[in-house]
Amino acid sequence: MALFEKQFTEIRDFLKQREGTSAYREFVHAAPASWPSGMRRSVVLAQDMAVELGSPQEESSSCLIWHDDPARVRDGHITLIGPDIGESTGKGLPFGKVVLVSADGFNEENSYDRYRELDGVRYDLDLKGYMMRAVSQYQREWSRVSAEAVKDGFSFGVLGGSLIDALRRKEYVRAVEVIFVTASRGDVSGLVPIADGAMRIIGALNKMLQELEFDCDTCDNTDVCNDVAELRSMREKLMKKGETGHGR
Amino acid sequence: MAADAARNTRILAVCGKGGVGKTSISAALVRGLLAGGSRKILAIDADPAVGLATALGMNVEKTLDDVRNSLIDRLESGAKEDRRDLVSLLDYEVFGALVESGGLAFLAIGRPETEGCYCQINDILKDIIGSIAGSFDYVVIDGEAGIEQVNRRVMETVTDLLLVSDASAKGLNVVRTIRDVSARLVEHGRAWLMLNRIRGAAELDRLALPDGMDLLGWVPEDENVRLTDIEGGSLLAMRPGPALEAVAACLPRLESAGTERSGQPLKMK
Repeated sequence: MALFEKQFTEIRDFLKQREGTSAYREFVHAAPASWPSGMRRSVVLAQDMAVELGSPQEESSSCLIWHDDPARVRDGHITLIGPDIGESTGKGLPFGKVVLVSADGFNEENSYDRYRELDGVRYDLDLKGYMMRAVSQYQREWSRVSAEAVKDGFSFGVLGGSLIDALRRKEYVRAVEVIFVTASRGDVSGLVPIADGAMRIIGALNKMLQELEFDCDTCDNTDVCNDVAELRSMREKLMKKGETGHGR
Repeated sequence: MAADAARNTRILAVCGKGGVGKTSISAALVRGLLAGGSRKILAIDADPAVGLATALGMNVEKTLDDVRNSLIDRLESGAKEDRRDLVSLLDYEVFGALVESGGLAFLAIGRPETEGCYCQINDILKDIIGSIAGSFDYVVIDGEAGIEQVNRRVMETVTDLLLVSDASAKGLNVVRTIRDVSARLVEHGRAWLMLNRIRGAAELDRLALPDGMDLLGWVPEDENVRLTDIEGGSLLAMRPGPALEAVAACLPRLESAGTERSGQPLKMK
């Protein structure tokens, strides 16, 4: 299933444009991440904070997209464009995050639920000294890291590794790659149209599953369906199932 | 999650008749708790008049009511959100409404919730506040005057009800009413009586205090507090005086009572 073919290509282009610059680096997450639990007391107040990522006053973009071809996802790779958490010179940084997942068995009926499940994993990360607030609707993610956590070595390697580990626990996930961007507002804003495009596809997918009628003349998502062949194919399959009484 | 988080949090709700000095007591409690070292404290102004913000020197830009209304506008303009999206959006917005200063975070409730079509939003907001509160060591809630918030179950998970009265019979009657209502609605926790603006021990002796309540302490009339109120100043910046000292003197007992009974939150029946 290649719902996000265009976004995968755009992400690779985004990375290619920055590869080789001093801001660009990659890590490979080999061993499972080990970081103490926050015991669900995850509020990091400004006085205890070393760095704030993607606050409401800063640029922020976050999305998760998937592909059925494992070759499109470099499993365990964490790419960072910009300063790492411990290298931040100021308290606030713009923040971009893209999670690429390769997974088996996504189809017209389970794709949206599985997306929700994968997207929900970030809320379950309970890392000491790390606080995260996210709004899927706006593709924004706002987080704070405490000074104590930074002193103990918290980094995007730890954060990305923990996310990769958690996503890999889903039985249908084959590969996970994470990209973080903190270099500049301009760099993060380069991710915004990609995340917007992904969100429109996810919105169309949700609508398709929620609404039994498929009237393209009145649907707000016609342009998205016209752009994404996979969505059209899913819609046709759902329509056929509806006609034969095997719909959702 | 909220229950796990709230396990070690003391949630103090300050209630009583209007005009007895709940806001000053709340601010003085916050000051005393902040003086106790590296604690995280959340102050919640549940009074629509938003007086605690002034008493703590906080500049409020957004209240919980603003958060609720902007979401209602969004839903009424056709946005469709499922519960998880609503939770994450509200959680994000509520956290954005917190005003921070040192170890203190402050949240103003604004106008009280209205009954009707938005129960789900109101329920989610309560859960979110409960979840955020669980990350703090202490939560001090300055309640609105009277009994309504207890009746509306706004204070569902408080560990300590601090019922404030002055020397007036009216003030003490309201305390009795709140105690009776909360005894019907609340399973665990403790209700304390705190007397404010008392003109000495002799006056205290003459008062007919409600039966069966622990008197946490009494706070003398203090010209500093009165002047700070008149000037709209912050009790956090006020120079020490008898009222602040009296409130601070109550804290060790309050704190030790919490550890004796494992900090079990109050649960509404």
